[in-house]
Amino acid sequence: MSRAARLEAVRARVAVLEAGGAPARGVLSFGDVRLDGAFPAGGLPLGCWHAVGGEGLEIETAAAPGAFAAALAAPLAGRGAVVWVMRRGDLYAPGLAGLGFPADRLIQVQVRDEAQALAALEDALGAAGIAAAIGEVGSVDLTAGRRLQLACERRGATGFVIHRRPFGAGTGAAAAAPGAAAATRWIVGAAPSGPGFHAPGLGPPGLGPPRWRVELTRCRSGRPGAWILEKTDGAHPLRVVAELGDRQLETPQPLRRAG
Amino acid sequence: MNAAAAALGLFVGQKATDATALVPDLVLADAEPEADAAALIALADWCARFSPAVALDPPDGLFLDITGLAHLWGGEAALAADLTARLARNSLPVRTVVAPTPGAAWALARFGPHGTILNPEDAAARLSPLPAAALRLAPEDAAQIARLGLATVGALGAQPRDQLVRRFGAGVVLRLDQALGRRREALTFRRPPTPWFARLAFAEPISTPEDLARAARDIADRLCARLEAEGRGGRRFDLAFHRLDGVILRQSVGLALPGRDAVAVARLMIPRLDTLDPGFGIEAVTLAAAGVEVLSARQVRLDESRDIAPEEGIAPLVDRLVNRLGDDAVWRAEPHASHDPERAVRRRPPLSPPSVAAPGGWDPERPRPLRLFRRPEPIEAVAPVPDDPPVFFRWRGAGHRVRRAEGPERLAEEWWRRSFEEAGPGRVRDYYRVEDEAGGRFWLFRDGLYAAADPPRWWLHGLFG
Repeated sequence: MSRAARLEAVRARVAVLEAGGAPARGVLSFGDVRLDGAFPAGGLPLGCWHAVGGEGLEIETAAAPGAFAAALAAPLAGRGAVVWVMRRGDLYAPGLAGLGFPADRLIQVQVRDEAQALAALEDALGAAGIAAAIGEVGSVDLTAGRRLQLACERRGATGFVIHRRPFGAGTGAAAAAPGAAAATRWIVGAAPSGPGFHAPGLGPPGLGPPRWRVELTRCRSGRPGAWILEKTDGAHPLRVVAELGDRQLETPQPLRRAG
Repeated sequence: MNAAAAALGLFVGQKATDATALVPDLVLADAEPEADAAALIALADWCARFSPAVALDPPDGLFLDITGLAHLWGGEAALAADLTARLARNSLPVRTVVAPTPGAAWALARFGPHGTILNPEDAAARLSPLPAAALRLAPEDAAQIARLGLATVGALGAQPRDQLVRRFGAGVVLRLDQALGRRREALTFRRPPTPWFARLAFAEPISTPEDLARAARDIADRLCARLEAEGRGGRRFDLAFHRLDGVILRQSVGLALPGRDAVAVARLMIPRLDTLDPGFGIEAVTLAAAGVEVLSARQVRLDESRDIAPEEGIAPLVDRLVNRLGDDAVWRAEPHASHDPERAVRRRPPLSPPSVAAPGGWDPERPRPLRLFRRPEPIEAVAPVPDDPPVFFRWRGAGHRVRRAEGPERLAEEWWRRSFEEAGPGRVRDYYRVEDEAGGRFWLFRDGLYAAADPPRWWLHGLFG
């Protein structure tokens, strides 16, 4: 074996190690280098699981994180079914359909406690014919996260874990929701939408397409960042409206608390 | 009446005063026909371990169809002896008879010697000395026959048939023919006998969870092999453990698609065996498949993980989830033609075909929230009258200044679902989609029409996210 070939083999092995031991399962491209550039492979890695959290009240309602996860999972629904595991049955299918998510490809599973939620999520991720699984759980410890990752690698399904606490459980220190085994970790909040339809003189203007303030706080061998993303109907699920340079300056934290 | 009472010369139908006169220290108990009937049904269920076809013969009889089953015990005599011994161990006095026809069995069990095994050839000879009452006759017919001096079945059978029919109607001749096997008799079995039935009996009672699991696997193997051989698949598998003390522990698993994969069926059953209490041990286990449909043989793919039909891949997952979490915990949302937001979604089993009732889906022109609260939450809102969206509202202690708004979308209650008196113009909701300054998107509504007298009430019904 020549020296060059051996070097090439070592490089390939390093690449596999960097990918967490799993063979590459492709990426979900956003079609914008500002967002794709944050990931090592030029797009959201598939075949692993992603943690999506919120701040403030969103930890209880999980509306914006849910919408964001649905937007990410929508392009995957063409490859197979999607499973949504939840403890509260307040997910409203017409709203999902409004986000461009094919609700007829969705299997909803209601569980009673955290352990069941994690077990059902793991089961779904490892099953044949499932393209993605979304779960609403309070926290994922390292063991559970590793199990989810192994389940994802079995057939290349992609997981989205929405950190959601039961109502009334308190919101303190919840932003530090663990997700140590996740490939990426996101903090998602709502952002003011662009102008929608507006008839002059008739009250406030209408709503534009939904926008989210999305912060990538952790990405394995990638680069964290923050963006304002907007839902689109095009080939890519999300469009970058603005890149937020410094989150501390850009985030209207006091207003967010009020919102 | 028990055996001791019979030995003292008492008989069924005797007056209680006469009986106490004969035996002063007699213990009397009220008859409980309902309890007896319930006990008979329980006994019939218990007998399912011998034969899947058990028919009730109230008030005190059971028919077991053991056609083709006796070899499992090594002969009819062994089967009858086993049944008698097991019942005797539970202090149930029983008279067991094996006969070629139900009529003959009935006659011999009541009037013949206990434990008779009747061969078809000598049925007539064995039945003829029995009293005519052994033929399950109507009481008035029996009384008439006795008055005519026809004491035995043989004497009755010797009479010309047309005379019997003329005098008693077809009933007597029918019973005679049924007893002698000249005419077939249909029994109403307690459970329709399913041909998809497997049974395993154990030489020693089993009770450890590992043994139960292995028994479940073995019996699933057995039944699924038969289903496979005949090209069928079952939708439901009912597992029953027969405990030593007669209690039957049941477990059912359902499949979203008909199946016959023994490993999959056993895997669904085994986790739930922990909840069963084996007591002193389990002596037999039965498995029945229900909802059996034709299932064509599937070609085994060489590249298993690739190109699986989605239904095929998802079905095992749906089965696992349904069996673990319950029937109503796994569903697919389907549009339903209704204005009421709560009723616009129907829950359907995940793999059911889409129903034709609601084609198309939800109207994309009417945006709906991602999270819909089961109960709308009250909010304090400041809104210009009469029909404008709120400019400010307070929800869960936090104020929200409305920056953008759309609406109203007026949704009225479906008045045709209520009585006429309760319906009224007041039962409308004006829905608005609003966005606050931070970008939070909410689905609000005002209850009722605007009336100057009382301030309108506002509610938050959902979040768009």
